[in-house]
Amino acid sequence: MILNTDGSKPIYKQISEWLETEILSGNIRTDEKVYSQYQLAEMFNINPATAAKGLNLLADENIVYKKRGLGMFVSENAAKIILAKRKGQTLQRLVEELVRESRQLGVSEEEIVEMIRLENRKCKGEEK
Amino acid sequence: MKVIQCNNLTKKFGHAEVLKDLSFSIEQNKITGLIGRNGAGKTTLLKLIAGFTKPSSGEVEVFSEAPFNNLKISQNMIFIDDNMVLPQSLNLTETLEAVSQFYPNWDSALAKRLFEYFSFHPKQRHQNLSKGMKSTFNIIIGLAARCPLTIFDEPTTGMDAAIRKDFYRALLKDYLDHPRTVVLSSHLLSEIDELLEDVLLIKNGEKRLHMSVEELKQLAIGLSSKAEKIEELIRGKDVLYRKTVGVDSTYVVVENDFSEAEIQKMSANGIELSPVSSEDICVYLTNTTKGGIDDVFTRS
Repeated sequence: MILNTDGSKPIYKQISEWLETEILSGNIRTDEKVYSQYQLAEMFNINPATAAKGLNLLADENIVYKKRGLGMFVSENAAKIILAKRKGQTLQRLVEELVRESRQLGVSEEEIVEMIRLENRKCKGEEK
Repeated sequence: MKVIQCNNLTKKFGHAEVLKDLSFSIEQNKITGLIGRNGAGKTTLLKLIAGFTKPSSGEVEVFSEAPFNNLKISQNMIFIDDNMVLPQSLNLTETLEAVSQFYPNWDSALAKRLFEYFSFHPKQRHQNLSKGMKSTFNIIIGLAARCPLTIFDEPTTGMDAAIRKDFYRALLKDYLDHPRTVVLSSHLLSEIDELLEDVLLIKNGEKRLHMSVEELKQLAIGLSSKAEKIEELIRGKDVLYRKTVGVDSTYVVVENDFSEAEIQKMSANGIELSPVSSEDICVYLTNTTKGGIDDVFTRS
């Protein structure tokens, strides 16, 4: 992963999201040790304090747990927590955008719901 | 543990007060960026910390001692800038050899590897090097000395972009292996902000802010929309920067004290929100005149 440095997303957030993706894809499994702040600092060329902030974000959300003196390890429910969080955030944001845009364009609620149904049917048709 | 502690530090040259009542402290093993415009007092401050000069009033302490004329401090501190005086009669290898005598933690293997990596010739002399090569040679000394307090004053002067990148990476890697307190002054905050933990911004010899880079990046927010919408939002707020584009589009930078709900409401109202880079924030915070260079060209 290459860090995005244009400022639209804080570096520590990108670090925590990268670690989440590593956990989701199975590269780091339950009860395995995640990278230390120093390893992350070396990998991404950032100050170790920034990397620590990314790790602490995951600890706060119980995606990883701390073992004193040993480092951070992947929690049992890590993947579940990440998935739930991403659904809640990403989908919610898309819905908000959809509603905002449709209000600006003067599209009615019924029309939107109909569009979603149509799109869903299309996807189902493709699956068959 | 605090490595540097300044209390009401003031430095005058004749009648000119270059540093005014400066108080701050720097914790052990942090990389701090000292940022400020030309003439803000960066070098003066660093020389006081290094013990090269004496404060006019107030105090500076390094490792809990006054650094001026202090052997313990000069052994544990290195100050790298582009005016370093090195013996003219020695070639580069001999210079490194001579410098190594002064620093107990000197890593000669690292010095040798960096020397070869940057393609120096052992028989070259320091005074015959180009500006960028001189700076590069100086940072080899700064890194290999491994001093508990390492000060770089504009270390990248004259270096090309590739060597600057190499230097930042080398500094980070060596810092990870051998943590120490580093103070780095630079104009190029955008290049070094990921390397830094804290930023100390000074303006006209006074402290403007001292905080972590992450906090600095969240400090301000850019808003752009139609002028009337913007005016409503920024009423009573301190506007750091303002620019008008086209007929009635306005871009402003204000302190980011909006709640999550306010931010959502703004973007729902068609206001474009954008992050402001740490470098831009520092430029806005140290501007002496609002409006900036454009005012020079405005003839009314």
